Amino acid sequence: MAVIGADTPYAAARAVHARAKRLGRRPGVARLGVVILLFLIWEIAARFFLDRDFISPPSIVLMSFGELFRTSGVAPALWLTLYEIAVAFVLAVIIGAGIGLAVGLNRFAHHSFMPIVLLLYGIPQITILPIFILVFGIGAPSKIAFGVSHGMFPIMIAVAAGVQKIEPVLFVSARSMGANRLQLFRHVIFPHMIPSFFTGMRLGMSGVLLGVLLAELYVSTAGIGYFTSVFTENFDATKLIGLVTMLAAIAIVLNEIVRRAELHFARWRD
Amino acid sequence: MNSTEQATARGRLLSLLVQLAFLAILLLLWTLATTVWGVSRILLPNPLDVWHQFVAVVSSGAFVPDLEVTLGELAAAFAISTTLGVSLGYWISRSHYLIKVFEPLLAAIYAIPIILFLPLYVLMLGLGPNSKIALGATISFFPIVLSTIAGFGHVDRRFVTAARSMGANDLQLFRYVLLPAALPVILAGLRMGFTVALLSVIASETIASFAGLGHRIVDLAENMETPRMFAYIVFVILVVALLNAVVSKLERQARWR
Amino acid sequence: MTPAQSAISVRGVSHQFGEAGEARHVQALLDTSLDVTRGELHCLIGPSGCGKSTLLNIMGGLTAPTTGTVTVSGKAVHGPMPRDLAFVFQESALFPWNTVFENVMLGMTFQGVAKSERHDRARRALEAVGLLDFAEHYPGQLSGGMRQRAALARALSLETGILLMDEPFGALDEQTRMVLGEDLSVLLARSNKTIVFVTHSLGEAVFLADRVAVFSARPGTIKQVITIDEPHPRKPSFMTAQKFHALRDQLYGLLHDEIRKAMSETAQPRRRYDQAGETDADGKRS
Repeated sequence: MAVIGADTPYAAARAVHARAKRLGRRPGVARLGVVILLFLIWEIAARFFLDRDFISPPSIVLMSFGELFRTSGVAPALWLTLYEIAVAFVLAVIIGAGIGLAVGLNRFAHHSFMPIVLLLYGIPQITILPIFILVFGIGAPSKIAFGVSHGMFPIMIAVAAGVQKIEPVLFVSARSMGANRLQLFRHVIFPHMIPSFFTGMRLGMSGVLLGVLLAELYVSTAGIGYFTSVFTENFDATKLIGLVTMLAAIAIVLNEIVRRAELHFARWRD
Repeated sequence: MNSTEQATARGRLLSLLVQLAFLAILLLLWTLATTVWGVSRILLPNPLDVWHQFVAVVSSGAFVPDLEVTLGELAAAFAISTTLGVSLGYWISRSHYLIKVFEPLLAAIYAIPIILFLPLYVLMLGLGPNSKIALGATISFFPIVLSTIAGFGHVDRRFVTAARSMGANDLQLFRYVLLPAALPVILAGLRMGFTVALLSVIASETIASFAGLGHRIVDLAENMETPRMFAYIVFVILVVALLNAVVSKLERQARWR
Repeated sequence: MTPAQSAISVRGVSHQFGEAGEARHVQALLDTSLDVTRGELHCLIGPSGCGKSTLLNIMGGLTAPTTGTVTVSGKAVHGPMPRDLAFVFQESALFPWNTVFENVMLGMTFQGVAKSERHDRARRALEAVGLLDFAEHYPGQLSGGMRQRAALARALSLETGILLMDEPFGALDEQTRMVLGEDLSVLLARSNKTIVFVTHSLGEAVFLADRVAVFSARPGTIKQVITIDEPHPRKPSFMTAQKFHALRDQLYGLLHDEIRKAMSETAQPRRRYDQAGETDADGKRS
């Protein structure tokens, strides 16, 4: 039923009703149809109308995946990028959660340092990418560092916010039952922090992906950034599209993992 | 002021002092690093040199050509994404079914780091402004279309019912009910789209371009002109902050009418 | 009743949501017939879910009945009839981005009133509900009672012969309800509007109505129509009269079993208003 046609005269309303029923109550099916249609358009346009130097039809990209992986250095580059993402993520979580807890637990620390965190978070980090390269070099460390730099802030902010939200009455009641600081952390703070922690991790993963990819695309000698440059310079549209698709798939999978984890662990929260 | 108010005020003042002290210490460490501790000038320039370069750049107007390129790309990208995003968003919002079909699809695509498309755009459109415009438009399209769908799609049905009961036709409904009801959400989406377009344009200039502010920073880095590079970094940060502040202000003002 | 006397005529109206056999199927109304006399305040009262709001929407052309017909002022109803009927809803459907005055003016714009007339009609309507001083306020700045007055003003400015009011005072506190009820009674005495008024409240029904149609539990049908013979404007003292209590008890007697029946229906299929094909306009339970 049309949202704004909700009160159109009876005949029109009945016609819309009938049409919607015919289309089926399965938007998922229609969505798949849309995706397939887009791929078809891409295929036909690339095959018959566009220059092969600049774009390649999906059928050819698909068939060339084997060749792409056999290209010397591509598979190791993908593994290297995954490694960079993983290390950056772990570091971002440790640093982000650590600082987030420290800032969040203490009211004074929160008032003093949170504005600094937010200020730093607001800086467009792409402007200092060349500095990261100068300091860390053109290898993996700079990619990891840039990834950490992007990923740690959302984690910091989410954890600090999560810790702040803990009801004071829970602290009071736990202390009144004789809990010491360690017990307080384990039984009151930690469980309450978890949903926000996982939210932060989801956002942190996006940040890490962005940071690592930006750094790779900027300068790379052995990572996927190297190959995107090579394929672009050689006008190898097929391999470039294939590589980008692979990376997009990896990004989707990683994002999905953290998203599922967040849903799972945030279950008890309202 | 009573005692609790005094305590809060004191606390706020103390926090402010801590922040200022933090910045002061940072500046101190920076100065020490470049003078006494002998960190390489190529890595970390002297703050005074940076300041002089900054003044030189701003007063000489050397930034103008690059700024023009960047702003031009931004304007084109934002114009494209706004036009496409709002039209498509409105069309989708007209039916619950279309919303159910397209919204998850658009949200899913938005979840991919779209910067990945940059090499493809460079391949297709070259190193010039067109690839930057294309990337900026692509990335900023999504928050705009999604917020347009949300804005128009979530107009309280009671408003629509009331208007129809009083005899409103489609055009009147759009102009007097749907648009004002959806506007706050759409404007928020436009603001986000603007910010994201700006950042994408600068990022793509950094990675693959021969002009623009992003490129200038990289160019100076490659030529080891570190003080001037730092000056440009500060300049770009200020430009971004200024543009974002202006857009936020516009958004807030537009909301009240 | 002659056609001239009948403002609204409902014949054999049944309405269901969803198809038989579906999880969300609900028979809201079953073979309902009703006549509303010109110039009376006719109340529709019944337990939750009995279909009274649905019937009101059908009367006003916002919902198409599954079967049956409705005639308003002699004309068959096929959709909204802005020149004949004006609605006042429970949650005031005033536009929060317009001032009270703009809201009233906008109603007339939709109806197609000439620009030159709108200003005066708006002023008169706001004056009639005592809100002229608040014309430049936004709905968000007003109390619930004042918002409903504004909604009433908007409906009055349309100068329709019929007002359809769907629990207009339902979201207000009791004291405000009583005062607004008295005002409505005064309004009724002054104009010769026909009002159809949906309510849950027994006292409100007896105080305001000339006739009360009592609904059965779902599927709703009209059990009985009671007449209340007391001229408008009705004074607060009416509420303490013996007649009032007797009528109220009579109403309660008719409703009691229906209310129990409605409460015991625990396995009701949930009505989903976001399904494609749903023609209910305002998604409210009735």
